[in-house]
Amino acid sequence: MNLLPDTYHIQQTFSAYCRTGESVTLPGVAPDRLKHYRRLVFNMINDTMEGAFPIAFKNIPARKWNRMVKDFFSHHACQSYQVWKLPLEFYTYAVEHNWEDEYQLPYLNDLLAFEWAEMEVYNMEDITADAYTLTGDWLDTPLVLNPEHRLLSFSYPVHLLAKPKELLRSKGVYFVLLYRHPETGNVEFTDLSPWLAFLTEQLVLGITVRDILDYAPQLNITETDTLEQDTLDFLKHMQQQHFVLGFQS
Amino acid sequence: MVGVGFRREFAGEMISGEHIRPDFIEFAPENWMNIGGYWKKVLHQVVEKYPVLCHGLSLSIGSPEELNREFLQYIKTFLNEYKVQLYSEHLSYSKCDNAHMYDLLPIPFRMDAVKHISTRIQQVQDYLQRPLVMEIVSYYTPVAAEMSEVDFIKEVVKQSGCQLLLDVNNIYVNAFNHQYDAKAFIQQLPLNKVAYIHMAGHEQVAPDLIIDTHGEPIIDPVYDLFEWTLQHLQPVPVLLERDFNIPEMAELQGELSRLKSICHKQWKLKDELVA
Repeated sequence: MNLLPDTYHIQQTFSAYCRTGESVTLPGVAPDRLKHYRRLVFNMINDTMEGAFPIAFKNIPARKWNRMVKDFFSHHACQSYQVWKLPLEFYTYAVEHNWEDEYQLPYLNDLLAFEWAEMEVYNMEDITADAYTLTGDWLDTPLVLNPEHRLLSFSYPVHLLAKPKELLRSKGVYFVLLYRHPETGNVEFTDLSPWLAFLTEQLVLGITVRDILDYAPQLNITETDTLEQDTLDFLKHMQQQHFVLGFQS
Repeated sequence: MVGVGFRREFAGEMISGEHIRPDFIEFAPENWMNIGGYWKKVLHQVVEKYPVLCHGLSLSIGSPEELNREFLQYIKTFLNEYKVQLYSEHLSYSKCDNAHMYDLLPIPFRMDAVKHISTRIQQVQDYLQRPLVMEIVSYYTPVAAEMSEVDFIKEVVKQSGCQLLLDVNNIYVNAFNHQYDAKAFIQQLPLNKVAYIHMAGHEQVAPDLIIDTHGEPIIDPVYDLFEWTLQHLQPVPVLLERDFNIPEMAELQGELSRLKSICHKQWKLKDELVA
């Protein structure tokens, strides 16, 4: 490296100021001009997070939100060279620093995870599905699913409710499936029961519906009279929704 | 050739070509790399229709630390995949202490920085197997300068062998903010190295400060400086940048037409004189 330590240090000091806003003295730098760099850099980060997490931004009091973004940007070294991926780092930082407790927002991790997943599935690289046919045996032929999806589990129904008070009253176990519509590119999501979440997870692994149904008693699913028909109805519906693509060929 | 910065906000209009019809488009690879779904389809449609130039955001040529080889690999693949005719970047830094800043920070105008950046430019050019076109950025304060801005730029060009992206609005902004003569500054540049021109609008936020926003129409004094500049250059592609406050396409097309008319007037005249 050709940089002298002094120049290196000046660049570090300048960028540290942009990240933290904590005052610095740099040779030749006009303080009233320097502040614009902090403003521009911070606004970019804040706008990115607002855009990625519109529900969280709306739900969280402005003072808390501002503190979160400042905390994140000051202490976290942003790694992504693509700014659209930065919200994942924000979400990860929130989880690692236990923001749920710190900001007294028990549903925060779920909400950030849900909003990030929407963005991720919308933008993610195309994934080619396995070869499939449109006809087959629903019970005994492995199904081919739309690979552009995420299956998430939550303690709060952030995919169903927006109001914080309602969310807090509804703590439980929730599953949501997000997938990208192959034609429109829009992200669709659907609430799943624990059984359907389990089913989806197993189908991804290539297990047949019959084999998964056989496993139901071990999950303490005792009312199995209509389980097979309900399961097939769900899968046929999801075929119409372009999540179930067809039958392995 | 007069092009426009391609943005998602007006992708449909660009593809239809009804209300705006640039000669080429430019976009940042970072905004389109590793993207699938709807926007990948749109990208394919638009690159089918227009020649493509790319203007990077995250190379951070002025960073104190090592170049990101993985990033360069993605860039190289992307530029080749989309048959990008020209790749430009910024003479600034946006990453330090292993943290991206997502904005253009000013490099200290110093000889050790010149050497550092020139080495890095050469490394990038060698890796990408194409010339790097470096933009003279707008800046709001000098930082620990030990040489003039123009000497700094001239030395970088000389030592690295890079080409220049002359953003005429940036020169106007810098001349205003740092109280120098924009024309005298341009005249001192190695103009034979200018491979690309950018034009944009800005916002005056204080009596003595303009911020380079790309959110307003180009103002007349910048058009005047542009016209004067063209008299000293060989024809190169010219780009209209508009990143915020996106207007009706008719307004953007109006700006494109005005730029085109100035190019035609100045460069045609020059050709006639040469002939």
